[in-house]
Amino acid sequence: MLALETLLLRRFTLRHWRLAFRQSLLLVAILGLGVAVAVAMRLANRAAVASFTHFTDTLTGPSDWIIQPAAGTLPESVLPELRAALGAAPVQLFPVVETTAARPRRAADPASFGRTTYTLVGVDLVAVANAAGQQEAGGSFLTAAPLADPRGGATEGAPDFWRTFRAGPRVWISRALAAEIGGARAIELVVNEHIVRLPVAGVIPGGRDAPQAPDTLIVLDLPQLQQLTGKVGRLDRVEFAVEPGPGAAGRRAELRAVLERLGGGGARWTVASPAARRETAETMTQAFRLNLTILSLIALLVGLYLIFEALDGAVVRRRGEIAILRSLGFTEGTVRRAWMAEAGVLGLLGGALGVLLGWAGAQLAVRAVGHTVNALYYATTVDRAGLSVADGCLGLLLGVVASLAAGWWPAREAARTPPAQVLVRHGAAAAGPVLLRQAWLGAVLLAAGWVCAQLPPLRVGAGVRFPLAGYLAALLWIFGGGILAGFLLPAIARVARRWWADSAPARVAVSHLGAPSGRHRLAVAALLCAVGMTAGMAILVASFEATVRGWVQRSLQADLYISSSGAQSASSQNRISPATWRAVTKQPGVAAAGVLSAFPIELEGIPTLLTGTDLRLVRARSSLPWVQPPRDDAIYDATRNAGLALASESFGERFRKRRGDTVAVPTPAGWRTLTVAGVYADYGNERGSLLVERSHLVEWFGDDDAANVSLFLAPGADAEDLRARLLAAYPGLTVFTNAALRTEILRIFRQTFSITYALEVIGVVVAVIGLALTLSSVLLDRRDELTVLRTLGFDRAQIARATALEGMSIAASAVAGGLALSLGLGWLLIHVINKQSFGWTLGFALPWGQLSALGGMVVATGGGVSYLVGRWGADLPADREE
Amino acid sequence: MRQRRMRRILSLILAGGCGFAAPLGGQVPATADDFAVPQPGHHFAFPRDHGSHPDFRIEWWYVTGHLFAEGGRRFGFQATFFREGGAPGAGATGAAFGDGQVYLAHMALLDVASGRFIYQERLNREGWDARADPATLDVRNGNWSLRLANPAGPRLALIGGVRAEAAFNLSLVPLKPLVVFGENGVSRKGAAASAASYYLTFSRLRAAGELSVGDRTMPVTGEAWMDHEISSSQLGADQVGWDWVGLQLRDGREIMLYRLRRADGTMDPASALTWVDAAGRTRREPFTWEVVDRWQSPATGADYPSRVRLTTTDPATQAAVSLTIEPLAKNQELSGSLGGIPYWEGACRIRAADGGEIGSGYLELTGYARPLKL
Repeated sequence: MLALETLLLRRFTLRHWRLAFRQSLLLVAILGLGVAVAVAMRLANRAAVASFTHFTDTLTGPSDWIIQPAAGTLPESVLPELRAALGAAPVQLFPVVETTAARPRRAADPASFGRTTYTLVGVDLVAVANAAGQQEAGGSFLTAAPLADPRGGATEGAPDFWRTFRAGPRVWISRALAAEIGGARAIELVVNEHIVRLPVAGVIPGGRDAPQAPDTLIVLDLPQLQQLTGKVGRLDRVEFAVEPGPGAAGRRAELRAVLERLGGGGARWTVASPAARRETAETMTQAFRLNLTILSLIALLVGLYLIFEALDGAVVRRRGEIAILRSLGFTEGTVRRAWMAEAGVLGLLGGALGVLLGWAGAQLAVRAVGHTVNALYYATTVDRAGLSVADGCLGLLLGVVASLAAGWWPAREAARTPPAQVLVRHGAAAAGPVLLRQAWLGAVLLAAGWVCAQLPPLRVGAGVRFPLAGYLAALLWIFGGGILAGFLLPAIARVARRWWADSAPARVAVSHLGAPSGRHRLAVAALLCAVGMTAGMAILVASFEATVRGWVQRSLQADLYISSSGAQSASSQNRISPATWRAVTKQPGVAAAGVLSAFPIELEGIPTLLTGTDLRLVRARSSLPWVQPPRDDAIYDATRNAGLALASESFGERFRKRRGDTVAVPTPAGWRTLTVAGVYADYGNERGSLLVERSHLVEWFGDDDAANVSLFLAPGADAEDLRARLLAAYPGLTVFTNAALRTEILRIFRQTFSITYALEVIGVVVAVIGLALTLSSVLLDRRDELTVLRTLGFDRAQIARATALEGMSIAASAVAGGLALSLGLGWLLIHVINKQSFGWTLGFALPWGQLSALGGMVVATGGGVSYLVGRWGADLPADREE
Repeated sequence: MRQRRMRRILSLILAGGCGFAAPLGGQVPATADDFAVPQPGHHFAFPRDHGSHPDFRIEWWYVTGHLFAEGGRRFGFQATFFREGGAPGAGATGAAFGDGQVYLAHMALLDVASGRFIYQERLNREGWDARADPATLDVRNGNWSLRLANPAGPRLALIGGVRAEAAFNLSLVPLKPLVVFGENGVSRKGAAASAASYYLTFSRLRAAGELSVGDRTMPVTGEAWMDHEISSSQLGADQVGWDWVGLQLRDGREIMLYRLRRADGTMDPASALTWVDAAGRTRREPFTWEVVDRWQSPATGADYPSRVRLTTTDPATQAAVSLTIEPLAKNQELSGSLGGIPYWEGACRIRAADGGEIGSGYLELTGYARPLKL
């Protein structure tokens, strides 16, 4: 048996591939494209998350435990306390101070966010030499190659140890940054609101097996970074590494117990493993990454349809051959197996191509994903995406499975070809999947989708929810809509019959549309899927943009906005010192100033923000966009609002808090229980935040720094003029005018959504290619009819016009159904999927222009492509062998 | 001796590079960069002088010894705490991350039966995880420490180990009075005026405590030797290395010897052998040093003496004695990954001319992997 299939593969399949080389290539390319999108998203997602841990790993090697206060910083005095508590236990302690910085804005640059955020890590540069990785590497910060001397250490003697530590702060940088600054001996950075010029001491040494230092990592000696950031005597965290030896697992558990006990059950600090911290980062971005994955799978789904079309087309083309084989005695089973084997091999080739393309695509996608993660969650350093064996296998598997799934029905069709087919070519066109003809099924699917849309999100972990039912609803609607849209074809046929009653090509097209084949219906369903999703996404983005625009309008009322020039993303920790912000607020022409403080805290093990401002001023000068407004005025009164807080909507969704609920928040002064007085919309921060009266916050944290300052000017004062004065006096600050900040926020917003546009385009392009393939199969199947038409005097143009009309009708049905579907999908995306994933309430906005352009474009390109296919079909010889 | 090594080790990573303006031969009050220089006739006060001397550049507390567990299982151990100052008196700031002093520590353990030798080095700055008390013996580096547990009747507490593979917690009680080596309280190391140290030694301590090897913990007893050397000195440029031994004989006496090797193969005249009698009195005697066997390190390629015949005069009988120093394991080399200087420091047994074992000791060999230039 098997020998027969092999023979078939060789003599029948391979021969076909040789003859129809370009078609086979196209098939593999389509498959590759679908797999590539899925693989690229997977790699990019993983890389964006993986980069999370790499900052201290590269310096100290992997640590076993990390302690970190739930809010604020740790005093240095915990170090001797910890050492005393650990006694003689062989544990290395690595205290860490960490902050972010950006390079100063050049005068020529426009005021904007998004410059590279560098992570400044302060570790004890003497002690890190004791870390296993550093010792193995044989290198240390003390012997790191100085930039000025590329031969590194060739000079007699060693770098001057004492000078390294006493001559003020010096930095060690990544190879990439060293290359970027091109041998400069110093680098300028904005740390908090100051521009500091830091001598470059060398390149960060790395072990052979240690992970390569991230490009954006900058290392300083710990006390130097403490000085630089004003965190004198304070630490951000302490990492612990149990020294190697027998019973290490037991020692790790003991260590954890000691740390937990000293930490006072989370009051002083929380204990986590690096793996747990990575998981936190993963769960924080889980919803975002799942959304991307789903988008990529949709691309694969559309790809699947293409493969089906292509294989189906091949069956049609080679029906004559199959009939001959069947009449030679090959059984149905043999033909089907040979056909499936062909699909499998195509899948393998497509999968391999997809892995390659996907890897290449990931290098592009990873920057976009990294950018978004950076803007919304935490600093990532990712700029490369690695490919593992597992990824490769997954890609191949996707390719093969997709190809087999799509090839199953064509293989069955092929096998059912009667031996006499060669004689009766004008037999009925394949009916197509029966399911597509069931209107009731479409209705049931739509109804089931409606039920799913009412279900709550799936809670994946603390603070993370995923709208599984929402996506299921979308899928059901897409399938249901796909089935129902097929019934539009006869309706269009009736309209066309009335309009172009005297056009021969129209009558030909109408005759086919009146009783649409399975192929027609499938083409409609696939195009509908692409159009519906693209339009749905467009509705989501438009609604989001309209909402953000309104939010910006309402909440940005001040004339000038001031932050550290080092603050470039959500993860930035750059602050403005009290002296500077006070001086800024006392500038002539300033009528009122809002000062915002922000402290990262951890709630239920998830990072979020505790912010504070003068709430009375908020009420007087701007209006918070309320989701649930406060019931009374207590929140605005500093004498009565000590136990009150306003929650952002994202915070409310994440931690399930509504007006009236209480939430316990950690502060250096101990836990504070706050009652949520109201919930406001905030589209700038997906981690969520609590807003309290700033004076209380300053007291709890003992920290008067500001994250940003907004200035309201007296009548007649010139904002641009004050901005210029401030920039001259404080070059480390970024000062936005109201209009510039609004523009900038919308720019970042569009940047965040840029990745979705690419996926949309892919979807539409694939669907139009699919339409072309469908029509070519249809024409091949109708070769006899075409011959008859030509005999009757139809010329090429007329046949092409008939085909174009047929294709345009398919496209029009798909567009009509797809746009209707998109309204549903848009609603679903906005009110269910987005709300459940991110907790943002959005107003519904329809981008009329965009939608009609999309519809018109699809119908027009559908018609154009169909016309070309028709011209090609017109030349088909009646009895040509493909 | 060791100060030379210490100097070299620290210099390589830290690079001191200060010149000495002092005249040769005469006594100088301080080095050019103001570090103190050992002065003859110095009056030692304890426990103060067991503690740290931040006026001096270099200081170490150096414990070596032999331990026995039940059933006769034998071990050799080394626990060394070095200190180097960046500027005189610096480091008393109390800062958690000081920049005035650094502390280097070496720990090693030899399991005699298996010949397995493990060691670890650690480098820390003055601060929260490494310090030495100037008022008494209390020196710490990470989880390792050496301190005076009982100031009245001296007892030292040593906590050390090698990674998590071995740990020792020992109580060290001096069996003999403290020895001050050298003349008039100053031990000379070379011709340069500043090349000298205060050299304080407990030549015999009773060691008792616990030793953990792998996942086994066992009570151990034995004898140890502790040097405490304080100096700021720069040694001669013609010296390429040195050999040091501390021998504990079963008759209650000890021998301490240091031998400074010059580039031309000769021995520096500052080399010395000192006997310590049962009562703790010292006496210098001439000696000869004959290498009987050698061992080449597979790790560094250094060609170390691995058996030495030492001939000297017994001050009690004035008769010539010949002793053989025989390592308990060939490989007791520390690769010096942090310090950059490989050296051999190992447990030995002492045999008399007739081959009978008459004591044990520690042998230190430096400058064999490459000449020490400093």
